[in-house]
Amino acid sequence: MRESFRKELKDLKSSVLDIGHTIVDVTHMAVKALVEGDVELAEQVIAGDDDIDIRCLAIEEHSLEIIATQFPVARDLRLLHSLGYISMHFERMGDLGVNIAKAARRTAERRGPQTLYDLIQAQGNLVHRVLEAMLESLDKKDIELAARLQDMDEPIDHLFKQFFRELARLQDEEDIEWASSMVLASRYLERIADHAVDIGDRVTYMVTGQFEAPAEEEEA
Amino acid sequence: MTHTLAEHEPGFVPPVDAAVKIAVKGLDFFYGDFQALTDITCDIKANAVTAFIGPSGCGKSTFLRCFNRMNDLIIGSKVEGLITLDGQDIYAAGVDPVDLRRRIGMIFQQPNPFPMSIYDNVAYGPRLHGMKKKSELDEVVEMSLKRANVWKEVKDILGRGGLTLSGGQQQRLCIARVLAVQPDVLLMDEPCSAIDPTSVQKIEDLMAELKSSVTIIIVTHNMQQAARVSDDTAFFLQEVMGEPAMLVEFGRTPEIFTSPKDKRTEDYITGRFG
Repeated sequence: MRESFRKELKDLKSSVLDIGHTIVDVTHMAVKALVEGDVELAEQVIAGDDDIDIRCLAIEEHSLEIIATQFPVARDLRLLHSLGYISMHFERMGDLGVNIAKAARRTAERRGPQTLYDLIQAQGNLVHRVLEAMLESLDKKDIELAARLQDMDEPIDHLFKQFFRELARLQDEEDIEWASSMVLASRYLERIADHAVDIGDRVTYMVTGQFEAPAEEEEA
Repeated sequence: MTHTLAEHEPGFVPPVDAAVKIAVKGLDFFYGDFQALTDITCDIKANAVTAFIGPSGCGKSTFLRCFNRMNDLIIGSKVEGLITLDGQDIYAAGVDPVDLRRRIGMIFQQPNPFPMSIYDNVAYGPRLHGMKKKSELDEVVEMSLKRANVWKEVKDILGRGGLTLSGGQQQRLCIARVLAVQPDVLLMDEPCSAIDPTSVQKIEDLMAELKSSVTIIIVTHNMQQAARVSDDTAFFLQEVMGEPAMLVEFGRTPEIFTSPKDKRTEDYITGRFG
């Protein structure tokens, strides 16, 4: 009985990790669509969001069933509770990916200065690194890696601020809608990384049973 | 001149902490040559429910029976270390075990009403302690049955034999019988393992109600029950067959069941052994 319960937990964790890998792909595709002005790719990201929502909901439902029937405690309870919490983050990260894709759709018709595309791409690359590290920390229960996510997130915040400053310089030449869509996309990317840092804190709780105080969020 | 005993001196009794009902210090217990428990130290909080959990044979019932000196009845048994009730050493010379058992009542796995009426079951203890007036006895019987959550079911059949009740009602009758002598502490040794789920719920509810006036210690194999009803949990384990059992971890129940400190506790409560 306990063996099948443990297999159920393992399978649930694999499903959550699979959603996490989808989030990595979605973020990558959304940034690519934005930088390359690829509307078709943006539509693909938007269309795929329902599937992420359904998979996240299934995690929540399955977690509830396990709680109701298996009465998990201690590390099993922490794992189960954390997986539910993490899938909730993934659902929101998926929504942010959709928002970036929508920004890509809105901005595709005009081409802005290359510097801004380069900045967004650089930010996207850093977010990709944070997401991969977050998934690895969850998969391997690596709390040292989880603790490093906060530091890895900092340059992403700086890039967002730099992006904002670059845009402010361009306001006479570029139309407002294009500029605001781009700055929002940069903000969404930064938020995706923030979710990954929160997930890292949850990995630490899952392993140690100790809650980390949430880091102060800097005002943009 | 008063001589204050140092902690290591024989006869030393630690200062009383009002929040602590029973204090156990360095307790060893022996059945003849066999040492069943080793070096147990813990504080049982007043007006709280403390659960003892652990695999079969880990000494939790043995430990429970140390509190009302039930083990004294086993020939060759021996207790070393200190157990205090409200700061008084319960094994000190001059302590009357019968009086101690009035202050520390016990409920067993199998309900054991006396073969007499419901009324007489509950009135038995107060009568033994000299209560004779019918009106006083009536009051104690009613109050005790009410406190044990069984009054409504038996108030019209008080003259009927206690053994005619269902198992769950019999167990609550036994609780009423214990409560009738106004104990400070209630020891419950697997009180719900032989009764139906509805009665289990009633007994768990009454534990929550009673703890405002009685300190409760429960031995249970049902970990969900321990998690539901107790404030503190103690996990006992005999790691090696033939060696004495020990208290592995003692802590607040929510912490034990979410983040136990000891891996052996975690492995046991998550069903990895035991």
